[in-house]
Amino acid sequence: MGFLAPVFFVGLAALSVPVIVHLTERQREEVVHFPSLMFLHRIPFRSTERRKIRNWFLLAIRCLALLVLLAAFSRPFLATSEISSGAVLGPREIVVLVDRSYSMGYGTRWERATGAAREVLDEMRSTDRVSLIFFSTGAHAVLRASSDKPRLLAALDSTSLSAEATRFGPALKLAQSILDESEYSDLEAVIISDFQRSAWSGDESVAFPPGTTVTPIEIGEKDQPNMSVAGVTLRKEFFSGRERIRVAARLTREAGGSLEDVTVRLELDGHENQARTVRLDPTGSAAVTFDAFTLSDPFTRGTVRIDADAMPQDNSINFVLSPGRALSILILEGQGARKDASLYLRRALEISEAATFQVVVRPSTTVTAADLDTHSLVILNGARLPGGTSGQRLREFVQAGGGLLMVLGERSAWRDGLEAVFSARFGPATDHARRGPGRIGFVDYSHPVFEVFSGPRGGDFSRARFFRSRPLTVSEGDRVLARFDDGSAALVERQLGEGRIMVWASTLDGFWNDLALQPVFLPFVHRLAQYLGGFGERVPWFTAGQVIDLSDLDLVAGAASTPEELIRPDEERVALAPGGGSVLLPPGAGPRYLELREQGFYEVRPPGSNEPRPLTFAVNVDPSESDLSTMDPDELAAAVAPREQTVRAGPAAGTLGEVTNEDRERRQSLWRFLLVAAFILLVTETALSNWLSRVAGSSRFEDGRGHAKSIG
Amino acid sequence: MTLRAQPGFRSSTGAQFLDPVVLSRIDNLELLARTVVDGFLHGLHRSPHLGLSLDFAEHRAYMPGDDIRRIDWRLFARTDRFFVKLFEAETSADFIVLLDVSLSMSFSTHHVSKLDYARYLAACLTFFSQKQRDRVGLATFDHEVVEYIPPSTRHMELILYALDKAEPGRPGELGAPLRQIGENLSHRGIVLLISDFYEDPNTVIEASRHLRYRGHDLIVFHVLDPAELDFPFEEASSFQDLESGQMIPVVPGELAEEYRTLVREHTSELERRFAANRIDYAVLNTAQPLDFALFQYLSSREKLRRVR
Repeated sequence: MGFLAPVFFVGLAALSVPVIVHLTERQREEVVHFPSLMFLHRIPFRSTERRKIRNWFLLAIRCLALLVLLAAFSRPFLATSEISSGAVLGPREIVVLVDRSYSMGYGTRWERATGAAREVLDEMRSTDRVSLIFFSTGAHAVLRASSDKPRLLAALDSTSLSAEATRFGPALKLAQSILDESEYSDLEAVIISDFQRSAWSGDESVAFPPGTTVTPIEIGEKDQPNMSVAGVTLRKEFFSGRERIRVAARLTREAGGSLEDVTVRLELDGHENQARTVRLDPTGSAAVTFDAFTLSDPFTRGTVRIDADAMPQDNSINFVLSPGRALSILILEGQGARKDASLYLRRALEISEAATFQVVVRPSTTVTAADLDTHSLVILNGARLPGGTSGQRLREFVQAGGGLLMVLGERSAWRDGLEAVFSARFGPATDHARRGPGRIGFVDYSHPVFEVFSGPRGGDFSRARFFRSRPLTVSEGDRVLARFDDGSAALVERQLGEGRIMVWASTLDGFWNDLALQPVFLPFVHRLAQYLGGFGERVPWFTAGQVIDLSDLDLVAGAASTPEELIRPDEERVALAPGGGSVLLPPGAGPRYLELREQGFYEVRPPGSNEPRPLTFAVNVDPSESDLSTMDPDELAAAVAPREQTVRAGPAAGTLGEVTNEDRERRQSLWRFLLVAAFILLVTETALSNWLSRVAGSSRFEDGRGHAKSIG
Repeated sequence: MTLRAQPGFRSSTGAQFLDPVVLSRIDNLELLARTVVDGFLHGLHRSPHLGLSLDFAEHRAYMPGDDIRRIDWRLFARTDRFFVKLFEAETSADFIVLLDVSLSMSFSTHHVSKLDYARYLAACLTFFSQKQRDRVGLATFDHEVVEYIPPSTRHMELILYALDKAEPGRPGELGAPLRQIGENLSHRGIVLLISDFYEDPNTVIEASRHLRYRGHDLIVFHVLDPAELDFPFEEASSFQDLESGQMIPVVPGELAEEYRTLVREHTSELERRFAANRIDYAVLNTAQPLDFALFQYLSSREKLRRVR
């Protein structure tokens, strides 16, 4: 038996008030002058009369009524009797969601979280069914609708923290599905988390079924200090023909006092390369730039690390570096082209940090087979498609996987045989000057080329003015990626064999349009070149929780230094996790997924091989998890709770007993019975005291003028 | 004990002057007594002038020693036996009021204290007796005789003055003052004793018997305030004895019932013991009109007027 509001029992002291007042022989100020105390002296115990309780039964009823009333207000519940409570209350479908994101590793949060979950499991009745869900970025139900408490406890004990960030959406949707499937009417969801603000976007569209009680249990404290490596930038430099990498790191700190000397270390292949010391103010950030170093070996493992604090997971960022491979681009100009016809295009391609472009400009008439073999992308900048053997070579080049970009200019012209390469016909140049310059009216942001421009302030193509263009006639199989404001196609893509062909209906210089003067020009050209040249972006690290497909050539090509490192479908591979575990990736034509669960470096190598530098992926924790600012647990509970359901406030960590008490209290009804009992007792007391008063009064005063007080 | 006025007396004209509350507004005791007595007697059917003539009462057999002048010769002629004629009593008797002026008599819970009530009663009855040609006297006492006015036909003014000036001041006691007064009374007479009798019944009877043995006809009025009879107190209070000053805490609750029982036993005991000693006794509630006391006195006087 327990009480949810035991403070009401302070009122028990009120029981003693009437008795004490009655029993206390307090002299009143009023003095009655009486002729003689002769008769009063003869009455025994005259002065102790007030200390005597005349009717013990009446006093007992009054005290009992008050006691029962206080007990009712104290909200009693049955905490230990499973049988009795189970007999009174129906079976429950309980879903326990436990946050196992790495922020739960702060201090003792994880121990408290599992302790809270254990308390919930300890209090489950034999008729209850409990589903245990662990969630971080994803959610996993380790046991669904189980009444096997030992198994649930074992599952709880065997679970450890993940390296992923918190996302409530998947977990809540999984819980919703379990609750939706339940035939029980008594549904409960217990959410145990540190309730980070970054984990809830508010538009997860989760709604628990009616009758669900949502109980958030907040683990963690507000305004806890935390220091993290928020990000790392890797800037390539070329010095004396050698690629150099300059690493810059950004550090952040939340709450706590200022730190004078924070040592930031750069480690390469496990060895400290450089160290810097910075001052880090509370709720501030600092940037550290290391000296550039020459990158010579593939899959060089780098780590920027600071001293560990209460949450060490975000105190380092790992990355993998390999010497860059340049994307070779051949720009073919037409006969008689201006000298600076490809100036903007060339200059734009030469300015690059992430990808390196090697640009060669030649007349279109001098294309050789060797030229095509050593280039990944050919740009026909205002030039005719080569005919004859050159044209055939170019077609074969595209069909083999090469990229071709046709930039239509003054000298571009249709010729027979071109339809074999590109089905879209283009007409003579159209001057837009009469009706005003044309604009880009439509952009397909879903396409990889324009995807980077899809975000807010991601780039505005409509600012560019187009004075002349070549009208394109699109045929079936062509994909229009951009259109002018008059509806005519501006950029068209067509797949040819393994390669791709794109046609740009205007020039990429400053004559037919001013696109080259717009901010979007540089990334637009880069994206075009990377896309058509099949250049996979080198990803220095992945985020824990991501799943990569090792059969994805683009992905692996971005990580691999040489084509030989690409994983062929007929080869078996073993992925070694940072924690020592391994995942066998059997050969096959299908996808070969590798789930990056741990923070550190994953190695992928053939079984039994002992390569010194195998294919390596760096994995970091999600930096957004470093933000320990919390949301109101009730906000989350109210968002997912059914409308008619009242969400009970979750307690702070360390008061879990009260939470579960509240949870039990919702289903207990002892206080109602106690209230009824108190009412009956009070009615009985009233009737009894009235009867006693009448009896005493009738025998005491014959003339009805007397009145006697009675307290019990 | 519940005392109620006899029907027939209150309906008479002037009965409103018997209300003690009304009487308390009259400063002059003589006027008060005259008003009360005249008003009271005016309502009676019988003649107010009693005992002025020698009225025949009864016959009885002649006994040696009887005055032969009282032998009824006419009856002797018819019966040849001697009978003595008995007549109404002599009117010229001593009438003395013994008034208790102890502190306890000052108690009151309404407009009239016990002493005031007793004062009115004494004045009225003295005035009445004066009209009967009696010699009237007064003795006030507490634990000793405070003032003594011997019976005389000319002491009416003194008595009224003494009654008017009587003030309660000291504790009371019955034995000594009554014994002293009894020794001073040379003639047999009617003694009216007015007190609240806060003494043991044995003491009261013993003191009263002393007067009775000296041949006085004793009429006792036990004057009590309604609060002394009913004990209507409710709140727990400290009760202080008016005479001794002693204080005790009292919770009236259950105690009231026992108190009333003790008072009833006390008055019943006094009534029984007085009756055994041929003493007329009546309990007077100061909240009740004076007519009952007057009627009680007249009844006793009727009996005392008769002579054997």
